[in-house]
Amino acid sequence: MKLLEGAGRRSPPRNGEMPVMMRMTVRMRLPRKNEEEQPIRRKEAKPRTVMRRTVMWGKERRERREEERKEGRRKKTVRVRRVVRRRKRRKMRGSSSDSSSHSDDEEEESLSEGEMARLKEEVEEKKKLIANIRNKPWRMKRRLMHLKEAQTFVDKFEGALGKGKGRKWYAYKVMMTKKWIKFQRDFENFRTACIPWESRIKEVESHFGSSVASYFIFLRWMYGMNLVLFGFTFGLVVIPEVLMGLPYGSVPRKTVPRAEQPTAQDYSVLMDFQGYCKYSVMFYGYYNDQRTIGLLKFRLPLSYLMVGIGTFGYSLMVVIRTMAKNADVGGGDGDEGEFTFSWKMFTSWDYLIGNAETADNKYASITTSFKESIVDEQENQKDENIHLRRFLRVLANFLIICSLGGSGYLIYFVVKRSQEFATRDDLSWYEKNEVEIIMSLLGLLCPPLFETIAELEDYHPRIALKWQLGRIFALFLGNLYTFLFALFDEVNTKLEQEQAIKNSSIWAMKEYYANYSRLVNDSEATPPPMDPADVIRGPCWETAVGIEFVKLTVSDIQVTYLTILIGDFARAVIVRFLNYCWCWDLEAGFPSYGEFDISGNVLGLVFNQGMIWMGAFYAPGLVGINVLRLLSSMYYQCWAVMATNVPHERVFKASKSNNFYMGLLLLILFLSLLPVVYTIMTLPPSFDCGPFSGKAKMFDVIMETIDLDLPAFMGTIFSYAANPGLIIPAVLLMVWFSYKKNRRNNTDSTNQVMKDLEDLLPNRSLIPLAPPPEPEPQAKPTKTKPGSAGKGVNLEKDVALASTNPNTRGPVSRPPGPRGPGSMAGPGGGQGRGRGRGPPLR
Amino acid sequence: MGSRASTLLREEEIEEIKKETGFSHSQITRLYSRFTSLDKGENGTLSREDFQRIPELAINPLGDRIINAFFPEGEDQVNFRGFMRTLAHFRPIEDNEKNKNPTASEPLNSRTNKLLFAFHLYDLDRDDKISRDELLQVLRMMVGVNISDEQLGSIADRTIQEADTNGDNSISFNEFIKVLEKVDVEQKMSIRFLH
Repeated sequence: MKLLEGAGRRSPPRNGEMPVMMRMTVRMRLPRKNEEEQPIRRKEAKPRTVMRRTVMWGKERRERREEERKEGRRKKTVRVRRVVRRRKRRKMRGSSSDSSSHSDDEEEESLSEGEMARLKEEVEEKKKLIANIRNKPWRMKRRLMHLKEAQTFVDKFEGALGKGKGRKWYAYKVMMTKKWIKFQRDFENFRTACIPWESRIKEVESHFGSSVASYFIFLRWMYGMNLVLFGFTFGLVVIPEVLMGLPYGSVPRKTVPRAEQPTAQDYSVLMDFQGYCKYSVMFYGYYNDQRTIGLLKFRLPLSYLMVGIGTFGYSLMVVIRTMAKNADVGGGDGDEGEFTFSWKMFTSWDYLIGNAETADNKYASITTSFKESIVDEQENQKDENIHLRRFLRVLANFLIICSLGGSGYLIYFVVKRSQEFATRDDLSWYEKNEVEIIMSLLGLLCPPLFETIAELEDYHPRIALKWQLGRIFALFLGNLYTFLFALFDEVNTKLEQEQAIKNSSIWAMKEYYANYSRLVNDSEATPPPMDPADVIRGPCWETAVGIEFVKLTVSDIQVTYLTILIGDFARAVIVRFLNYCWCWDLEAGFPSYGEFDISGNVLGLVFNQGMIWMGAFYAPGLVGINVLRLLSSMYYQCWAVMATNVPHERVFKASKSNNFYMGLLLLILFLSLLPVVYTIMTLPPSFDCGPFSGKAKMFDVIMETIDLDLPAFMGTIFSYAANPGLIIPAVLLMVWFSYKKNRRNNTDSTNQVMKDLEDLLPNRSLIPLAPPPEPEPQAKPTKTKPGSAGKGVNLEKDVALASTNPNTRGPVSRPPGPRGPGSMAGPGGGQGRGRGRGPPLR
Repeated sequence: MGSRASTLLREEEIEEIKKETGFSHSQITRLYSRFTSLDKGENGTLSREDFQRIPELAINPLGDRIINAFFPEGEDQVNFRGFMRTLAHFRPIEDNEKNKNPTASEPLNSRTNKLLFAFHLYDLDRDDKISRDELLQVLRMMVGVNISDEQLGSIADRTIQEADTNGDNSISFNEFIKVLEKVDVEQKMSIRFLH
């Protein structure tokens, strides 16, 4: 049975023990908080003590009265306590008079040897008391009282034991140690409480099963990763440009052109990301090509390129690390095993749940997990005409390939038509937006079509989900790449256009200078006194690309949210309220409530991310939009799923590893890396906008930095190292190593755990190489980076735990409670908090 | 300072408990203080109500059974010795212990004894078999009314079918051990008692 399953699997800070001990630790921890608020300040000692004691008295009396009323039996204890207290008070008075008389530094020197020794002895005694107080068979109240007194005493006089100058330092050190420990403990609590949306996800999970929860965990992970990207982009590019760069209107690239100014503030223009939007920090074109900006000589163009590349590098690293981590956690105590039901039966309750609400969730999740197993079981027992099944599957795939091909052709057709339209001016709204509309419609209509076709195949829902994901993925990918090719066409035309403008503007400039020098007869040329709004400028293809991606992202957000609002919410409202006056049962019959569409949502998320990766280089503001989107959709979708959806008819368990999602993400990452790297490496940047203007290639900025900022020999080294033949293998090697390293770490610790386990086993033959339930690295993810992707990374584990133990990491549902022995043991006791599976403490 | 504490619990008593359960001296005194604080009647024994005040047990579907495990057959009170004897099942197995002479009787915290403890939680009538009815009872406690009786029945059947090797339609202790063979019982059924 999973008696105390939690003890093994819980996250580090909560190694709360059996209920019995737990309550004790909670109580034991109480006093410390108060003590540590007591500063070591001797002068105030007396009045403070007196005051505190009176306060304590009053409080205690009140409490006591209450208790007396409750229990009606106190006399003995009270008497004992009074005696103790009297004794204590005498002691306190003695000692506090000591302290007040020696409050001055000079006077303290005159502390006699005898007094010193006595004090020392007393402090030692108190310390011993503190150390032993847990062993005393006293009532908790009495213990607390003693503890409090003893600790105040020690706090106050420990410092007096040092000699001369060392004393203050000693007191300070003691204080700081305590503060540090307290801080560590608080931080630990804080970190546990900071796993965002944990309770929200658990709630969803207990109602809808692990598969739906896996989507939300994925969403959370994405949010974490995007937050880091956002930090990079805004911290290193956007904010420096805003703070230190030239202000708006100072140079042409930062000014709305004269022709556009009248409409630049119109709502419709702004919604198209033209006008003021186009000439803002959101887009590539706004950035200036000054090599350094501000007092700090911040190299913005370099930073821009580095952040652009770093975005990919970081994402790649995180995705691969997560995958490597997930790849190893599979297995565990094997749901695959023969005893599915028995295990569920005997080991599903979490014996550490002490909260009614959590218990409710646990009940729900146990129920769900049983249902999941029933479905799995039914699936296994199916046996019928295998030939028919095969035929149907082939047919289904054929149909789907047909519809994929059809949608691909449709997009191709539409894109061709739009290129035709591009030459005309008299376009209706539909004709202008035809591509987007068709793409949205296809994205909206095809998945349900695929789902219907997939019914033919009759796969297990888990496998069906993967097929469905794969098909929609193919569809989206086709759409995306068609879109990209269209975009490249546009970029190429823009480049030609730009070339023309560049030539003409250079020519105009030459003319101007020629005239200028002829008229003024001065060879020193000053730039023409033209308003920045009037300067002729190129089309700035980078900004155009950025705008396309931002538009696509925004329209994607709109479509997603509207679909939820109409497809789920409106439907649920109609079904719910029209049901009273309808001819058939709406809830059970045709429209019914919606189910949460896992595949669609996951893919939506993955593609959205691809869009961000592609667009972020040309529109730094896109990352910010995406963070907002993920944040809002977390709340919105959590609400929507709880309020409007019903659990899947066939509840099924999410597959053990989320690596399928991660695999999709990795694929998209590579696919979005390609066009961006291609544009960076091959296309010349616009001549009059963006941080790389005036350079032949964007990456020239690196060469420039090497030449100008680094010593000369570095330049030569780099010129050798920059050989693509060296770079590509190096990158591949790095990826390989990071993957390998993770794997090795994992397997190493796994082996370690195995060894420990084997040592623990009394009889080896009983347990032939039991796979360890939890490899060590489980404890790691939270450690990597607070607030970053680290915390959400551990998707797979969450899912794996889903059906069995959803509340092990639900910090919100219970008080930030006991953390085992470390809490009382002072500086030495820290090792108590730690891995759930460390060796028992002694 | 600690002299008063120990007077309430006699040294020789501690020694005996130590021998029987393997807890250390300080663990025993600490658990004793926990025992006394649970003991609202202050009569040196714990009643079922005392246990039910522990929220983790009160909320646990199997809480009553766990509480029952503390009480000897047919009794309503458990004294400190009995309390410790039950808790001893949850003492972690320590590294040095497994090397001790194997001839000595098996300690209470051995794997088998831990499993036996768990087994008895399910085996209500103490016939050393978990029958279908006993499983059904547990299932109802764990899932309530959310799953139909028919399905519960089939789950129970499946469970027995999985575990049953000798075909008597119930789970014996040996079969139970077999089922949980791959579960890290030593770890999961251990509490790290404060030292």
